[in-house]
Amino acid sequence: MDLESFVLEVTRLRDEAEAAFRDVRDAASLEEARIAFAGAKSGRLKAVQKLLGGVGSTDRPQAGRAFNEVKQAISALLEAAQDRLAAATASPEAAAIDVTLPGRPLRLGRLHPITRTIREVQGIMARLGFECVDGPEVEDQWHNFEALAIPPEHPARDPLDNFYLNVARGADPLLLRSQTSTVQIRVMEATKPPLRIVSLGRVYRPDTADATHYPMFHQVEGLLVEKGTTMAHLKSVLRLFASSFLGGDVHVRFRPSFFPFTEPSVEVDMEWGGRWIEMGGAGMVDPAVLEAVGYNPDEVSGFAFGLGVERIAARRYGVADIRDFYRNDVRFLEQFG
Amino acid sequence: MIVSTNWLSEYVRVTAPVEQVVERLALSGLNHESTSTVGDDTAIEIEVTSNRPDCLGHIGVARELSVLFQRPLLIPNARPLEAGGQAGESVAVEIADRGMCPFYSARVIRGVRVGKSPSWLVSRLATVGIASVNNIVDITNYVMLECGQPLHAFDLSRVRGQAIVVRPAEAGEAFEAINHRTYELDPRMCVIADAERPIALAGVMGGADSEISDATVDVLIESGQFAPLAVRTAARSLVLASGSSFRFERSPDPAAVDWASRRAAMLILDLAGGTLEHGVATAGELATHPATVALAVDRVSEVLGVEIPWEQQQATLTALGFTEQTEGADDEISLWHVPSWRRDVTREIDLVEEVGRIVGYDLIPEDATISARPVADTRRQDVTRLASDVLIAAGCCEAMTRSVVDEVLDLFGSPWSDKPSLTISPPLVRGADRLRRTLLPSLLEARGHNLAVAAPHGDLFEIARGYLPGAELPVEPHFLSAVVGGEFEVGKGLVEAVLQRLGINASGLTGPPPRASYRPANHPLLATGRTADVMLSIAGRAATRVGVIGEIESALIAHFNLVGPVVAFELRIDTLDTVEDTDRAVVRPSDFPPVERDLNLIVDEDVSWSSLASAIDEACGGLLDRLSLTQVWRDDGRIGPGRKSVVVSLSLRSQDATLSGDEVKEVINTIIETCTRRCGAALRA
Repeated sequence: MDLESFVLEVTRLRDEAEAAFRDVRDAASLEEARIAFAGAKSGRLKAVQKLLGGVGSTDRPQAGRAFNEVKQAISALLEAAQDRLAAATASPEAAAIDVTLPGRPLRLGRLHPITRTIREVQGIMARLGFECVDGPEVEDQWHNFEALAIPPEHPARDPLDNFYLNVARGADPLLLRSQTSTVQIRVMEATKPPLRIVSLGRVYRPDTADATHYPMFHQVEGLLVEKGTTMAHLKSVLRLFASSFLGGDVHVRFRPSFFPFTEPSVEVDMEWGGRWIEMGGAGMVDPAVLEAVGYNPDEVSGFAFGLGVERIAARRYGVADIRDFYRNDVRFLEQFG
Repeated sequence: MIVSTNWLSEYVRVTAPVEQVVERLALSGLNHESTSTVGDDTAIEIEVTSNRPDCLGHIGVARELSVLFQRPLLIPNARPLEAGGQAGESVAVEIADRGMCPFYSARVIRGVRVGKSPSWLVSRLATVGIASVNNIVDITNYVMLECGQPLHAFDLSRVRGQAIVVRPAEAGEAFEAINHRTYELDPRMCVIADAERPIALAGVMGGADSEISDATVDVLIESGQFAPLAVRTAARSLVLASGSSFRFERSPDPAAVDWASRRAAMLILDLAGGTLEHGVATAGELATHPATVALAVDRVSEVLGVEIPWEQQQATLTALGFTEQTEGADDEISLWHVPSWRRDVTREIDLVEEVGRIVGYDLIPEDATISARPVADTRRQDVTRLASDVLIAAGCCEAMTRSVVDEVLDLFGSPWSDKPSLTISPPLVRGADRLRRTLLPSLLEARGHNLAVAAPHGDLFEIARGYLPGAELPVEPHFLSAVVGGEFEVGKGLVEAVLQRLGINASGLTGPPPRASYRPANHPLLATGRTADVMLSIAGRAATRVGVIGEIESALIAHFNLVGPVVAFELRIDTLDTVEDTDRAVVRPSDFPPVERDLNLIVDEDVSWSSLASAIDEACGGLLDRLSLTQVWRDDGRIGPGRKSVVVSLSLRSQDATLSGDEVKEVINTIIETCTRRCGAALRA
């Protein structure tokens, strides 16, 4: 017999013995298992011992070690089963286990807190009828700027304020998108209104990384274009969103602001813990943007809003330094349920 | 922009407490940054959006307050007494490039006494954070902060040849600014030159040689219009931003160009004496943007979703400086002439915003209803969620690493493209300017970090895009990538689990598509001989590569200070999500018992498990219930070199009946016969 077959045999014996002794419930079944495995005449151990003689002399020391191990293991199993049975018959208390002992550990991974936040926002927006859309992160200047009413001489297009690529479409270099509105433009170009979408993903703006800034971050942007849409719809949807996300009846406040692709433009504050907290930007889709994608601003109107995911997640989880989101330290990630 | 409350009170009397003032401003468009006390004055820092250069001066902010608190706005007069000669004879002005400078004006005051500013002026400037220099310079700053139009004062005696030439800078031209640093200019920038050399960087900063000094007697006051792009280019590329450049980049009120010049002259006469020459030396033509915008009477309520009485709309616009025109207007459409300082208002929607922001967005109701609409998650959302769930259950944490990597990570290569990666400028963070073609090096780096800080583990996965150079826009594959401790089989087990969760037959054996199979492969990052491509077969389509699995090669283990073995995989979510998890017919579990058998098959070394397993599967003719690999072993002496023993354990079971001994024997014989024929297998007794 070769060594491999012998080891296989020994392993199988051990597995079976473990199972048999585990199932012992009373003196009779204990005796039965003892005879089956450790019986002096025809026990399984004895049978395997006989096989040992058939192993070639070079492999025999190794085979012998394997045999001794299983022999000791079976004798330990027998003893443990005897103890267990004795304890159980002595008193039920003695058979009780320490239920405060730790369970057999099951290591669970975790979803990144940014993903958790995004999914939550997506879920709420889906219940309000907003469909999730996706688009490229490397964009051309039409989708990142012109279609969003940001003309060529606009300061937002300055090379120092964008990540331009070393490749171009036509004469204009491509760039990493600076907002997810680009996806909204792409969807509007391809779809007729009415339309309710939420786009999300990574966006990029040159910013020195510090506790509250990172040159790469995530944005969620909602867009609704339907006949007769007003700022009251915008405010109401954001209030529903805020109430759902924060819990309770949350109020929303608008402060005038300026974004090239919305008019009127507002900053959105939500009341959180008795304070007004800035949540993001919003506004009515600028008629010029609707025209740029081939919609008729006299027939439809719409609103758009954008939220910075890192900012919401940082506030919700009390993360003081948003760079922690990108350090990928398991000790950090494991804190999110 | 910092405003002084004392200063504001010169133009508008508001009795409300500063907290209320600040809140009203914030809720109408001037966001509050901070409030601080400076002496007996209060400094309020407000954020002025780029469309509102009118609020980069105290008068503009005062105008907002006058509208919000319904108080009159008092604008000081600017009619200085002229005497002496003609400005036009003291200096000749010429513009070489009207694109850079549409209009330039110069006033001349002779015989001034340069000295200290009076305390009221010093303290006003101090409140807004500007140090006093001398009375002349302080006045130019004061007027800029009053009306938003930047000015510059030259020592006239230093203007050579009695000439001002506004022109593009020459390439490499040197210029020493008042900060006494010398800058090298280029033709995208605009300079103010005299007959010989540049004496100011237009709209950005004056020159050291022509600045106002104690010795200055005659002063030239510049007030002009400079193109935003030229000013921004100069300020940015020389890192020389100033209050002046900030305003010119946003196009100040054209009507303020002359007003500011007169106002400064008047203050100089008051505070520094001297004589103002008659008139003004000019070149070019003042660029103005007269506009009349129509506003439908019911438009505001259509956009805002709240009724605002027409009279209130009229009163608001009028107070902001818009003038209603009767000619051409009717019952439904009103016409409004836009004031010179509001270049941002060109369309009806802009007027709507003006009414809305002043009347107050608080009036907008927050209980409007939207219709219900069905929404289903996209397949990509489903696939992403299912795959992450599997990996989380397997103990992996989701990571997020940067999309852009440095040269070192990039040069490790990618399983997906050997074309040079795309680069960006500026780098995302120091040194990181390559758009990554794989997520694996970033994840290995993160694993290294976890090891270094003795975190509980470093088994990580990430779902993100890669960027592969393409014909037009780059191709952006959606990767699901992971690095975990262990050998190849650990990674493969995870891949199989993910694929199964997506409804893909992941065993690599026969069976209906969608089905995955695995073939040996060689890729950067991954160890030779321990790497596979994951292939996906979908009905009616050729098999495509959807992923790679492999052990990380030892050089990388060393580079990232890891402890091997580490296995990685990278799957294309954007291909996997094209597989629909269609409703498939369920096979009813058999009611009959299985029969188990072990077979020890001796085959050549190069016979793969999948070929052997397929042969067995096929030979069983639908009776194969379960097939597993028990062991593979090699023994040159007993089996012979180049051969291996493959011990398989299989279970046979019929849907319809208990298998008889003869039936089982027949199936086993067929298996052995098929394995022999297809794989050259021999049964070892």
